[in-house]
Amino acid sequence: MPCPAHFVARRALGLAATLLCAAAGHAGMLEVKALQRDGKPLVGAVITASAENPALPPATPIKAIMDQVNLAFEPDVLVLPVKSSVQFPNSDVVRHQVYSFSSPHRFQLPLYRGKPYPPILFDQPGVITLGCNIHDNMLAYIVVTDAPYFGRTDSAGSWAAPAMPSGRYRVRVWHPLASEPADVEQVVQVGADRDVVQIRLTRGLKPAPLKGRPHSWEY
Amino acid sequence: MGILKPLVSAGLLLAMQGVRAGDFEIAIDMRAVNSDGRKSLLENGEGKLRYDADHDGVQLGRLRAAWDQPIGDVFAVHAEASVWDDDDKNPIDLTEAFVEYRPYPRAGFRSRVRLGAFYPPMSLESRALGWETPYTITPSAISTWIGEEVRTIGLEGQVDWLGTRLGHDFDFQFTGAVFGWNDPAGTQLAAHGFAFHDRQTTLFGRVGDYQSNPILAKKELFCEMDHRPGYYVGAQARYLDRAVLNVLHYDNRADPTVFEASIRDFAWLTKFDAAALRYETGNGWTVLVQELDGQTTIAPGGMLLDWKYDSQSALVAKRLGAHMLAARYDLFEVTFLDNPSLPGSEDGHAWTLAYSWDRGDHWRLAAEWLRVTSDVKSRSAWLGEPSLAIESKVEISARYVFNGSF
Repeated sequence: MPCPAHFVARRALGLAATLLCAAAGHAGMLEVKALQRDGKPLVGAVITASAENPALPPATPIKAIMDQVNLAFEPDVLVLPVKSSVQFPNSDVVRHQVYSFSSPHRFQLPLYRGKPYPPILFDQPGVITLGCNIHDNMLAYIVVTDAPYFGRTDSAGSWAAPAMPSGRYRVRVWHPLASEPADVEQVVQVGADRDVVQIRLTRGLKPAPLKGRPHSWEY
Repeated sequence: MGILKPLVSAGLLLAMQGVRAGDFEIAIDMRAVNSDGRKSLLENGEGKLRYDADHDGVQLGRLRAAWDQPIGDVFAVHAEASVWDDDDKNPIDLTEAFVEYRPYPRAGFRSRVRLGAFYPPMSLESRALGWETPYTITPSAISTWIGEEVRTIGLEGQVDWLGTRLGHDFDFQFTGAVFGWNDPAGTQLAAHGFAFHDRQTTLFGRVGDYQSNPILAKKELFCEMDHRPGYYVGAQARYLDRAVLNVLHYDNRADPTVFEASIRDFAWLTKFDAAALRYETGNGWTVLVQELDGQTTIAPGGMLLDWKYDSQSALVAKRLGAHMLAARYDLFEVTFLDNPSLPGSEDGHAWTLAYSWDRGDHWRLAAEWLRVTSDVKSRSAWLGEPSLAIESKVEISARYVFNGSF
């Protein structure tokens, strides 16, 4: 038989733990479902969830790779927390000249096979469009975010955030083929219940880049 | 050609400083041909095909070596050399050689300057390496003629607005060039009309076999005769990576009264307008239409002689993975304006069907059937043959490409 004092203590501890958890807010569940204008799932969309209240710091920076394989960028979209760094290794036999003139980070980087270059640091949030000055059909994006939570939608157009503090979040959807006139976003109150936020584009997608065309053909 | 040699030498010298590793590519293209063609224009005949009935069997289509050498980050030398194994002057020769200045884009704009010898930007068909068409073995009448007679030996400037890099759906490009050393361009159109072959004329070579008849031109195309530069201006609009519209106005500004004894030819005043539209769908279809319309003039003894020419081409291709099927229809016409029934006038059309298979990164296998129907006045005037001829051929091509960096 438990000692009453011990029982009270356990209950008190349990209560304290609940209160602590609530104070830290580790109770939020968020799932985002991104849809095209016609209601089909929006696959591969970048979702960011920025904390409006309480404010949260950006996610921990990472080290990522944007390779060049068979005259194409690999992957076609990278999502990174601010202050992350990206290596451009060049796995092709030919040279490339990677550039960006997007305002969050302008750079140019000549890439020769077997000659490594130091990684590039991305310290401003925004979308960076990458091109190659020699091969015009090479196109990729780096999305740099100061949001604490981010990811890409799966084949069902869904993305589920990990456990996150309850609070108010601004959820944004970005897709390389979207042609929306303004940012696609929604402010949501995340609580203990699993919220499914549905965000739908207002315009149709642009045609996807052609696949299977030999990369050596001129643009 | 005076400018080219020092230019290429300078490029080579700079490259040998070992500034950066260059890229190279070597491609060998073997053919098996069955043709009933008349004696080929490349053999000084009036046939429309590269391989005539006397050139059946296994042939070397092209042995090609390309070299791309960066000099620093924004300059590069590019050279294309080919062996064609036929009766040209040189066993190996250049088709293109130029220095390119290509700075990185700034704020959505990019400029590009080329100095040397290269093709004007007008064929949306010749988009594969070495100015070849990936759709068929034999290019259209329009591209055949450009490969035969036209080359920019001079300076070209280009400005791109890279809208697709700024989130827009379109890119635009504007091109202008001044050039010399192309005063004979037009001579082949007046002599034998349009043709269907992939035999690009080399910078120091000629069109096919030696012309032994001393009153006929030597068929050497890249020669400066009147010291008057020519020009072209062009524009291109691209919708994403799907559609391209290209227009070009070309004028070599040759003085048609000038005769150059060393090549036994006049300066041909040649002007044309060209337009091309290519559209590719997400499920592998390509539609490509081209139009060329121009005039060429000489003035022996001050008497103006004019030829008008035009050609239209429509191609439909379907890619199925590594396989591609293509069908093309060409129309062509040359009219000697002073007397359309005299030699120099022709008209005709051609059908081309082709299949190709890109086997891995290195092999390309292709098969083609081509039939040209042409009514060429000079056949009856010079050769005493019927002016109307139907020529056809079946050709198989096996190409191996080897590339790398050094």
